[in-house]
Amino acid sequence: MTRNKLYIFLSVACVIGFLWLSVAYFQRSSEVGESSVCLFKQLTNFPCPSCGSTRSVIALLKGDFLEVLRWNPLGLILLALLIIAPFWILVDIRWKKSTLFDFYNQSEAFLKRPWIAGSAILLVVLNWIWTIYKGI
Amino acid sequence: MEAQRVDMFIMTNGKYFKSYQLNAIRDRLIALEDSRWAMISTVQLKDPAISLVISILVGHFGVDRMIIGDVGLGIVKLLTCGGMGVWTVVDWFSIMGLTRQKNMEQIQPYLY
Repeated sequence: MTRNKLYIFLSVACVIGFLWLSVAYFQRSSEVGESSVCLFKQLTNFPCPSCGSTRSVIALLKGDFLEVLRWNPLGLILLALLIIAPFWILVDIRWKKSTLFDFYNQSEAFLKRPWIAGSAILLVVLNWIWTIYKGI
Repeated sequence: MEAQRVDMFIMTNGKYFKSYQLNAIRDRLIALEDSRWAMISTVQLKDPAISLVISILVGHFGVDRMIIGDVGLGIVKLLTCGGMGVWTVVDWFSIMGLTRQKNMEQIQPYLY
């Protein structure tokens, strides 16, 4: 993964993310959640670890912080990424630096440590069990 | 290194690399000193067939990307429901090539 590839990938991901959010935001609330794009949910009828994060992000945008927990706390991370990544990429392109790429590589090395990786996987699995229990 | 030993290496590890890279790897290995053999033989290579199985079973959660070393992309894949299902399907077809690419990146530093 080179710097430019990562930046292009993240920009495309952010554009798709914002498009998806705006579509979901203007949908009537009764329709949200009925049409799932999640492959796993459609195949098995169980939610996947990140199901409900769209609804969680929209609840966050509407200022309803308890709803975030009701849907999926991972939405917090997603919204943070969606807001921070575009600005960071623009700053890096403007001043021809690669601070985001360096940060990406450092955090990858950090996450590869067995302790960190183990606890991260445990958290995701616990969140997944909670998601299934809530029946999203 | 001896051509015989190199050919043996290519025969047993050929499936880990892209076919067009094999000739270059063979040439580089023959040009190497014998003392580098120990390093070359300890490089951990990932099996493309295993990553295909992982991709089909749990690729939706980004596990396939994490296994081949792209932890960051794996997390993005996990957080986005496998790229809304599209990325999951794309990776079923591209993961074997990606694994071979990663293997090449793994062995590259030892070849020069």
